[in-house]
Amino acid sequence: MTTVLTTCPFCTCGCGLHLQADHGHLIGSAPSEHHPVGQGKLCARGWHAHEAPTWGQRLTRPLLRRGGEQVEASWAEAVDEVFRGLSGVLAAGDSVGVLGSARATNEENFLAVKLVRGALQTGNVDFCLRAGLQPVVDGIAEVTGDPWPPGRLLDLERSEVILLFEGNLAETHPRAASLVAAAVKRGARLVTVGWHRTHMSRLAARHLPVDSGAGYEVITGFLAAVLSGDQEAGTGTVTPDPGSEALRASLAGLSVDDPVREAATWYASAARASIVVSEGALLPDEARNGAAALAMLAAVTGHLGRAGSALLLLPSRGNQRGALEVGVRPDALPGGLPFDDEVMIAKLRRHWSREPSLVTGLDAEAMVAGCRGLVVVAEDLPAVIQAGRAGLDVLANHRFVVVLDSFATATARAAHAVLPVAAFGETDGTTTSLDGRVQRVRACVSPPGIARPGWQVLAELISRFGLPCTYGSIGDLHREMTDLVPLFAEIGEGQLDESWGALVSRPATGPEVRLRAVDLGRRDPVEGPCAAVFDEAFDWGSDPSVVHAPTLCRDHVARRKLFPTGFVEMNKVDADRLGVKPGWAVRLTSKHGEVTVPVVVSGEVAPGMARLPFSARDRVGVVLGGRGRAGVRVERV
Amino acid sequence: MRPANDVHGRDPGASRLLAKSDLVSWIRRLMDDAEVIAPATGAGGDLMFAPVSDPEAVWLGPGNPLQPPKQYVLPQTDPIVRIERNGGGVQVSSISDERTRVIFGMRSCDARGMAYLRRMQATDLPDDAYLRRADRVTVVTLACTTPCTLGFCVCCDAGPFARDGHDVQLVDLGDRFLAEGATERGRAMVAEAPFRPATQVDVVKRDELEREAERHFGDESAHLGAAMRRISTRRVAEELWEAMSPWCFECGGCNFICPTCYCFSVKDRCQDHGWERCRTWDSCQYSAFTLEASGHNPRERRKDRIKRRFFHKVSAQYYQRDGAVGCVGCGRCVQTCLGTTDMPAVVAAIRKGVWHG
Repeated sequence: MTTVLTTCPFCTCGCGLHLQADHGHLIGSAPSEHHPVGQGKLCARGWHAHEAPTWGQRLTRPLLRRGGEQVEASWAEAVDEVFRGLSGVLAAGDSVGVLGSARATNEENFLAVKLVRGALQTGNVDFCLRAGLQPVVDGIAEVTGDPWPPGRLLDLERSEVILLFEGNLAETHPRAASLVAAAVKRGARLVTVGWHRTHMSRLAARHLPVDSGAGYEVITGFLAAVLSGDQEAGTGTVTPDPGSEALRASLAGLSVDDPVREAATWYASAARASIVVSEGALLPDEARNGAAALAMLAAVTGHLGRAGSALLLLPSRGNQRGALEVGVRPDALPGGLPFDDEVMIAKLRRHWSREPSLVTGLDAEAMVAGCRGLVVVAEDLPAVIQAGRAGLDVLANHRFVVVLDSFATATARAAHAVLPVAAFGETDGTTTSLDGRVQRVRACVSPPGIARPGWQVLAELISRFGLPCTYGSIGDLHREMTDLVPLFAEIGEGQLDESWGALVSRPATGPEVRLRAVDLGRRDPVEGPCAAVFDEAFDWGSDPSVVHAPTLCRDHVARRKLFPTGFVEMNKVDADRLGVKPGWAVRLTSKHGEVTVPVVVSGEVAPGMARLPFSARDRVGVVLGGRGRAGVRVERV
Repeated sequence: MRPANDVHGRDPGASRLLAKSDLVSWIRRLMDDAEVIAPATGAGGDLMFAPVSDPEAVWLGPGNPLQPPKQYVLPQTDPIVRIERNGGGVQVSSISDERTRVIFGMRSCDARGMAYLRRMQATDLPDDAYLRRADRVTVVTLACTTPCTLGFCVCCDAGPFARDGHDVQLVDLGDRFLAEGATERGRAMVAEAPFRPATQVDVVKRDELEREAERHFGDESAHLGAAMRRISTRRVAEELWEAMSPWCFECGGCNFICPTCYCFSVKDRCQDHGWERCRTWDSCQYSAFTLEASGHNPRERRKDRIKRRFFHKVSAQYYQRDGAVGCVGCGRCVQTCLGTTDMPAVVAAIRKGVWHG
C-alpha cells in the first residue's frame, strides 16, 4: 500500500489528505492530521476523493474524429492532427480560443495561458466559472486595491461575529462551515443572510431572510446602519476622503430594519469579526456592487486588514483563484496585471523568447459561441455554462475542437480530437486555496492507458506551435512560474517541495481604501405567484470528477439518487396548498417555458419559492430561460 | 511442571523480556516472513500505520495515528469478486488478499477494535473474505503507559493495556520491553532468543505501570454506562437529537475513523475486461444510507441518523449482543468530527439531557 500527501481537489478550502493506493488503484483517502486547514478533518467529498478517478469513465488513448466516429490514435498522430486542425482555422482567418478550468492545476492553467498568449498569439483564454467570480473579485478590489483581501479561513474560528452571505455553506464549503460552527460554539454570534433556511442558519444567532438574491439590499442596510450616526460606527479608523462623504450621502434616508441594524451593531463593535460571502450569494447583476459594499462595510468598521478579522470570498470550485492568478482571463496578464505592465512584458519576452500577445480576447461564452477552433482543458461545458447541455450544440459550429480531459465527458465526445490527461491522484502540480495557499497535489498512481499529465501535453502542444517548451520536471515549470506569476514569486525556494506547499502572505491592506457611493437601484420584481431559482451554488452533481464517484453522486445525497433527472424543492405549505406529496409531479410554467418534475418537500425553502437543482438544469433550466430566477406558476399534474 | 498462575490468572511463563537494543533486529526478522505495518511519521509530519521499510523509523513513542489500522483488515475499497466476460457469459472468481501481515505497535484501543470487528464478521454469516485476510494478521500491541490526550479507553474497558485482540503485548519498562504472548501464535513469537524469561520484579513493575496509567485518567471519563442506561430506557428526549442535528456536517468521518465501524456499500469498479465488485466503507450518517429501493427512507432526517448511531454504539441491547460497547475510547472522532457530535460530547449530552453545541 502506498500513500501520498495531497490537497483535496473539490472546494476551495484546500484541506490536506493522504491518498492511498494498492495494486495500482486508488483505494482510500484519509485526513492529514497536521494540515493547517484540515487539521485532521475532511468532508464527505474529501473522504471519497479517491473515487473520482477510479470510478469515472476514463479516457485512456488519444481519440480522433474520423467521419462520425472517434477512433484511437497515437500521441504523435493526435498532436499532429491538433496542429493541423487549429492551424487550418487560423489560416482561414478565424479565431481559436482556449478554455482553462477551475478543475485544472495551476501548471495546466499557466500553460493554457502560454499556449494562447505565447504560441497562438491571441488573447482568447478564459475559464467558464470566471463569469460568476470576476464581478465579486472586481468589486472587492475596487475598494481595497487587492482582489483577495487579507484574512485566512482559520480566522473564522476566533471571530466574535460572523456575517455569512451564503448559498449553502455546509454543502459548498464544509470546512469553512465547520470553522464557523466552532466559532459559534466558542460564543460567536453568527448572522446568516440568505433566501432559504440552510444548515448554517440553524446555528445562527440571527437569520436575515431575504428575497432570492437580495443580499445586496441587506448589505446596504448594514452599511447604512453603521454609518447612520446613532451609534459608534466601528472601532477602526478610516482616512476621511471624498468617497466616504459620497458613501454617507448615498445611504442617507435609507430605512433599515431593526434586525439588520442590530446585527450591524454586533459586527461593528466586535474586536474580531469576519464576513464570508459565497460567490453565488449575490445575483450576477449586483455581484460587483454587493462585493464592493461588503468591502466598504469591513473598511468603515475597521475590520479590513485587522488581525483576526477576515473578509473571505468563497469561490465555488476548486482552483478558481489559481486559474485567475495565473492569467486565465482574456483581459489581463498573469496576476491580473494590465497589458502595459512593462516589467511583466519584459519577463514574458525573456522566458518565451518572443513577444507575448497583449490583446484582450473573447470571454468563455463568446469563445464557445464565436470561435471556430477551441481547446478545452479539463472542462465539461454542460457542467459549467448557464446554457447546460444546449451549449454543446454550439460546438457543432466549430471547425476544430480539442478536449484535454481525464473523463469521457459529453464535451469530449463532441470533440474532433481528445487528448487523455491524468486525473487527480495521477499528476503533480499545485492548486490555490481561497485564502492563497499554493498547495501541492501529487501523483499516487499512474494514469490509465497512455494518458499523460496535462502539463506535459500542453507543453508539447506549445512546442508544436513553434514556441520551444520543454521542461525536464514540474520543478522547471515552477521556476518559470515563479518569475511570471506574481503569487508564485512570493513562494520561497523549495517551499513547493515541502509537505503541503506554501502559504503565500500578501501585504495587509494599507490606507488606500477607496470608498464610494452605493447604487440603491432596485431589481425588477419577479412576476408570478412563485419564484423559481437555481440552487445558487455550483452543484457538484454535474461535475465530472464527482458525477462518476458512486458515493458522491448517489449515496451521499438521497434526493439526487432518487430523482437523477431533476426535481423541484418546495416548502410544505406550498405542497399542501397544491395537494401534492413528496415524489408527486408538478408542472412549472414561466414565460420562458414549462417543465414537469417531482416534488421534494424541504423546510429549507421558504413558502413561495421553488428551488431547482443546478445539476439538472439541462432538464429543468428551460423555465428559467437562462437566468438565475424567474416567476413561475406551479400546478399539480 | 508449569508454574502456578498469578493473582490475575496469568501464566508467568508467558511473560518474556526483550532488550530495547534487540527491537530493531526483531522487527527485521518479522519482516522476513511478513509485511510489517507500524506507526511511522509520514508526509506532513502525520503519524500513520504504514508498511515498514526501515525498522529504525518505527515510532513507539506517545501518540496514536489518526487513522486506525482498520484499513489493513477492512480496506476503504476492497475488491471481493472479479466478474469477467467469458464468451457469451460471465465468469465470476473471488479475489483474496493473501498477504501475511504483522501490525506492530498497535494500541489497546485498536486491538479491541480488531477483536470487535472479528466478532462481527465471524458470527451469524461468517464473512470469508474478511476472515481470510484477518487470519493472516498478527497483532503486536504496545501498552499505553502514558494515556493519550483525547482517549478515554478506561471507560470502554479497552485500555490502557490490551485485554483482547492482540497476539503479543509489549510493555515499556525503560531499557526493555515486557512481552506478553496472548495467543499460541504470540507465545511462539516470543519464545526464543532474543527474548528471555521475565522476572517477578518485571511483572510487578508492569502492573504498577498499568495502575498508574489508569490513574492518569482521573475522575474524568465518558460515563458510557450512564448514557447506556438513559438511551436503553428511552429517556433521551427527541429534542436533544434535534438540537444536535445542525452540529453534524455529515462528513462520515466518525464512521471511517472508528476502529469498530464496519458498515459498507457495494460498488462495481470497471476493469479492462470486466468488473471488480468492491466492498467500500459507508457511513450511517449519510442521508442515502438507509434509502430503500421503494424510495422510502426510514432515517431521512439527520437527527434520526445521529440517534441511530449512538443507539448502536452505546445501547444495552447492542452491548448484550456484541459483548462490548461499540466504542473503544480512542478519541479519534473528537479530532476528526467536522462538527461537534463526537462520542464524548454526545454521551455527555445524553447523560445530562442538554446539548450545548
